[in-house]
This record gives sequence, structure tokens and C-alpha cells, in this order.
Amino acid sequence: MSIQIRDLHKSFGEKVVLAGFSAEAREGETLVILGGSGTGKSVALKHVVGLLEPDRGEVVVDDQVVGELAGEELFELRRQVGYVFQFAALFDSLTVADNVAMGLRRVGGLSESEIGDRVTECLELVELAGFENRSPAELSGGQRKRAGIARAIASRPRYILYDEPTTGLDPLTKAVIDRLILRTRDELGVTGIMITHDMDSAFRVADRFAMLYEGRCRFFGTPQELRTSEDPVVRSFIEGRPELLEEGE
Amino acid sequence: MTRFVLQPFVAIGRGSAVLAVGVGRWGTLVAETVRAARHLDIWLRLLIPQMARVGVDSVPIALFVALFTGIVLSVQASYTFTGAVPMYFVGVLVGKTMMLELGPVLTGLALSGRVGANIAAEIGTMRVTEQIDALETLAYPPMAYLVLPKVLAGVIMFPVVTALAIGMGISAGLVTSVQLLDMTVLEFNRGLMLFFEPFDVTFAMIKALSFGFVVTTIGCMFGFHTRGGAEGVGDATTRAVVVSSMVILVLDAFWAVTLL
Repeated sequence: MSIQIRDLHKSFGEKVVLAGFSAEAREGETLVILGGSGTGKSVALKHVVGLLEPDRGEVVVDDQVVGELAGEELFELRRQVGYVFQFAALFDSLTVADNVAMGLRRVGGLSESEIGDRVTECLELVELAGFENRSPAELSGGQRKRAGIARAIASRPRYILYDEPTTGLDPLTKAVIDRLILRTRDELGVTGIMITHDMDSAFRVADRFAMLYEGRCRFFGTPQELRTSEDPVVRSFIEGRPELLEEGE
Repeated sequence: MTRFVLQPFVAIGRGSAVLAVGVGRWGTLVAETVRAARHLDIWLRLLIPQMARVGVDSVPIALFVALFTGIVLSVQASYTFTGAVPMYFVGVLVGKTMMLELGPVLTGLALSGRVGANIAAEIGTMRVTEQIDALETLAYPPMAYLVLPKVLAGVIMFPVVTALAIGMGISAGLVTSVQLLDMTVLEFNRGLMLFFEPFDVTFAMIKALSFGFVVTTIGCMFGFHTRGGAEGVGDATTRAVVVSSMVILVLDAFWAVTLL
């Protein structure tokens, strides 16, 4: 039960986004991928569920190469993976409850009352009980992100991918979401990948870090190793001091 | 000087490339939509709501357009025929024109604005807000969930709305002829039935069905290929309406040449 990103290359036209990025999320751990805005973190994440196809390299989930899956096999893989989008990507035309139930209805095997119970349970877990009949437009930014997390965990996935889940939120809401990510790891035992450039949040949830820089993995290691890294690129990023990068060059 | 001379050729080349890309994308979308038909469990329950959105909600605008078209046709026919052609030919002109041309074409153009724009804006917004990616991660094929119900609704409901519009246009022509042109109902009906062929109805329905197909598929195509934010959605919506209107006019000529 791990996610391995191996030598991933991806370009859009002339723009090279990933140039040999590798990282691994080990079983039961949360890997945090760091990197500045526009460095290709979301692009890397989308390869994990086959939303993008790599130009070269591969992503291996549960010993399956994602790029080689199609049809029902890809459907089965996606059943195992919850995806929390940066701006939640809730369906505007559906209520919060229907958003959360969407994946459950697709998977099948549950009656409507069982789906209702699961939806209530997930919304309680993200502290959104009572919001079932609201539309996404009626939610605040933090509530939308929590509803997105509820949708991602509803089908009890083995893996969860978080795309900047705390960006743009107030410190209190960030802490709530970080706690939620830790709970999903500890209580549901999921393996996760979170991408962020929010260092406070990253240190709270990470078991391991990978830093994406110029399309490649610049650093891979534990939080302790990250803190003691001598690499000026890593230091300048985690300390928010661009002058270290200039000195390094 | 050379640049000035070459400019039209460059423009034609670029235009041709854009057209080829567009046709390719449209063909791919149609092929994927056909393949998505196997996901009956996904699209079937969405079909009725889409038929209501595409068809029932479009009836008022289609009837409004047809009402005034029928009035104008009868008055203009009377103006043209007075003293030269028997007045019951007003019924001939209103009936034939509404069935063969204006009923399907004006309804198609009105619905390309209403339905095509709506589809492109909805799917375009879903694209730029990652809702389509979210659908895929939840294992819903977007073609089965978003495209197929809309295309089927268009193919089914455009003919229905067109038939209602034709009925409204002819009725408006009849009332105008009786109230303003001193004709009797019998005279109008005599003209209406004089050159009527059952094929006229078939022809109108074939046109309406094809217009429903192109308006919905073109709207979906531009929605799916939306890039950027609100500006991209606006651009996709405008292109969907312009292109589907142009294709309706081309198809209109195509059916006239091939079927009449």
C-alpha cells in the first residue's frame, strides 16, 4: 500500500513542468510535497489518479502502473483514492449531502439509507453536521474545503490526495483541517499525499517531505531531516528567505 | 510588400488549422459520447431533467419567435399577392415557409443561443473549477454524466419544440389573415392544404433533429475545452453560439439540396 512516483516528466507545449520528479508515500504515512506556486505540484498529483498522462516515467499505486490502466481497472483504482481539490470542486447543482453521496452512489452496494448514514457520519467527522441541505454556494471557503474532504473520505478510500487544503484559510480553520487530515490518517489508516506551500500546516501533518524544484525532487526525507537540511534552496523555502537562495547561487 | 501580399494566405492557413482542430475535437467528442452510451446507469436518470431544461424551458422563446414570424409572413404575403395572386395563397406561403424553413431554422437559432450557450457555460465553469476532474476521480465518465444526457435531450426535444413553433407560426398567420386581411378560415386552410405534402413535416423534423445534435455537441465541445477563468467561460459560450448558428445555416442548405 504505497504510492510511488518514478521519474515523472510532463510538459505542456514548450513549458516543461516536471523533469524527472520522484517521490514515495509509504503505507499509513502522509507525504507532503512542497514547492512554490507553479512548480507543478498539482500536475504531479493529478498523475496519481490518471487525470494526466506522463510524457515519461510512471506512477505506481499498489503495484499497478496508473498510466497502463483504463476503463474498469482505472475505475477500481479511483475507488481506492479520495481527492481533495484546491478549491473543493463541489458540484454547484447538488446539495452538500448529494456531493458527499456522489461517490458512494457510483460505487454501489449501499442502500439509500446506508448512504444517508455514511453522509451524516462523514459530515460529522468534518464538523459540518446540519449542513446536508445547503448548496455549495452557501458555504464559506473553509466549509467548502471540509465538505470536499468529507466527499473524499466517504467511500473509505485507502489513499487520499490533498491539493493545498489549507491555502487561503484563517489560522483556526487551518488547524481544524490539519487535525482532520491527521484523524483520517490515524483513524482510517489512509496513506496520503498533501501538496502545499504552507509550512505550518506541512510540519503538523507530514511524516515525510518531498520538495519539488525545477521539475525534480530537490529533497526527500523526514521532517527532522528537512529542518536540519543545509541545502540553500530548501532552507530559503522553509524559512521564507529568498536571500539564502541568492547566496547559494 | 511581400508580407502584405502573404497576409491573406497566412490568415487562410491559420483559419484552416483552427477549423481542422475544431472538427477533430468535435469528432472525438461525438465518438466518446457514443462509447459512453454503455453507462446506462449514469445517464438514463439524468435524461428527463435534461429534456425539461433543453426542451420545456425553451418553449416560451420558440413560441415567441414563431408568433411574430407567422404574423409578418401573412402580412407580407398579402402585400405581395394583392391583385395578382388569389389571397388563399397566403395560407400556402405561411404553411410552406413555416414548415420547410423558418420554423426549424428560427427555432434552431433561438435555441442555439439559449441551449448552446447554457451548455457551454455550465461545462466550461465545471472545467475551470475542476468539477470535471472531480467527476473523474469519483469514477463518473464525464461523457456519460455531462454530455450524453444533453445530446439526447437535444435530439429528442428540438423536434418537439420545432413542431410547437410551426403550429404557433401557422396559427398566428391564420389569425392575422382573418383579423387583418379579410380572409376566411376556409380560404386560409385551402391554401394551407393546397401544396401540403406529408414529407414537409418529415423534412422539418429531420432538420430540427440535426440542429439539436449540433447545438448540444458544439456547446459541450467548447465547454470541455474551456481554459482560464471567467473570461475563458465567456469566450467558450460566445464561440458555441456563433459556431452552432453558422453550422445550422450550413446544414439548412445541405438538407435543402439533398432532400428537396
